Amino acid sequence: LTAVYVIFTGGHTTEILRLLSCLSESYSPRHYVFADSDEMSEAKIRSFEQKRAETFSNSQFTLDRIPRSREVRQSWTSSVVTTLYSILYSLPLTYKLKPDLILCNGPGTCVPVCISALLLGLLGIKRAIIVYVESICRVETLSLSGKILYYFSDYFIVQWPDLKEKYPKSVYLGRIV
Amino acid sequence: FRFKDSLAEDLGRADLVISHAGAGSCLETLEKGKPLIVVTNEKLMNNHQLELAKQLDRDGHVFCCNCSTLVETLQSMDLSTLKPFPPGQPEKFALFLDKVVGFQ
Repeated sequence: LTAVYVIFTGGHTTEILRLLSCLSESYSPRHYVFADSDEMSEAKIRSFEQKRAETFSNSQFTLDRIPRSREVRQSWTSSVVTTLYSILYSLPLTYKLKPDLILCNGPGTCVPVCISALLLGLLGIKRAIIVYVESICRVETLSLSGKILYYFSDYFIVQWPDLKEKYPKSVYLGRIV
Repeated sequence: FRFKDSLAEDLGRADLVISHAGAGSCLETLEKGKPLIVVTNEKLMNNHQLELAKQLDRDGHVFCCNCSTLVETLQSMDLSTLKPFPPGQPEKFALFLDKVVGFQ
């Protein structure tokens, strides 16, 4: 059994749910973590999990909200402060859930969570595998989260060949959403 | 309307879709097999929306234009030249993840 930690917000929600659509039931329980300012995402997750429960009887999932680490176009200095705050917030949550696998696809929300997981790994508490999937929108350049997590994730997946060339450590599987 | 839970019904009935370059809008429309014209506004948009719109245009799946060239595009377009957009394959992701996690 693998505890999966899924991080997303807004437009990324549809993408992450597509990524999850073919996963076997061994990826359970699923813990969804998303920015607290996001309403529609919660509804989409619940509906996804409801459909899943129709096929798999033992479906387990939880939903957790964390403060958004950065608003679109937020300034650098205030971003650092809000991100630190988000890390402090997500550390106890990550410690409680102790995921084996973290799956994220791009929103700023995933950076503090991944950093928390890395800290827990460094402290010898729990080592999670971090898998980052860059959004399909990213054809030629990486998102800010991507640029950071390219160095900190275990597996970094891109969906367009240009990015694979620019970032050789990444994994290219074609279009997966 | 401002917000609807799903545009699926409206998309199903449309013969042509003219949209901004949001990834969700573009992909959803292309998956329904509807001809799509993407209108970009380089001043307002985040760069990454533009990247996807341009790539889709290069690959022949959509017609890309901006607000000022929209009328011209509508007049001169040939929808039959648009190529179908193959669906993404999340199964590949599942297979990859199974290997990574050791489920094989």
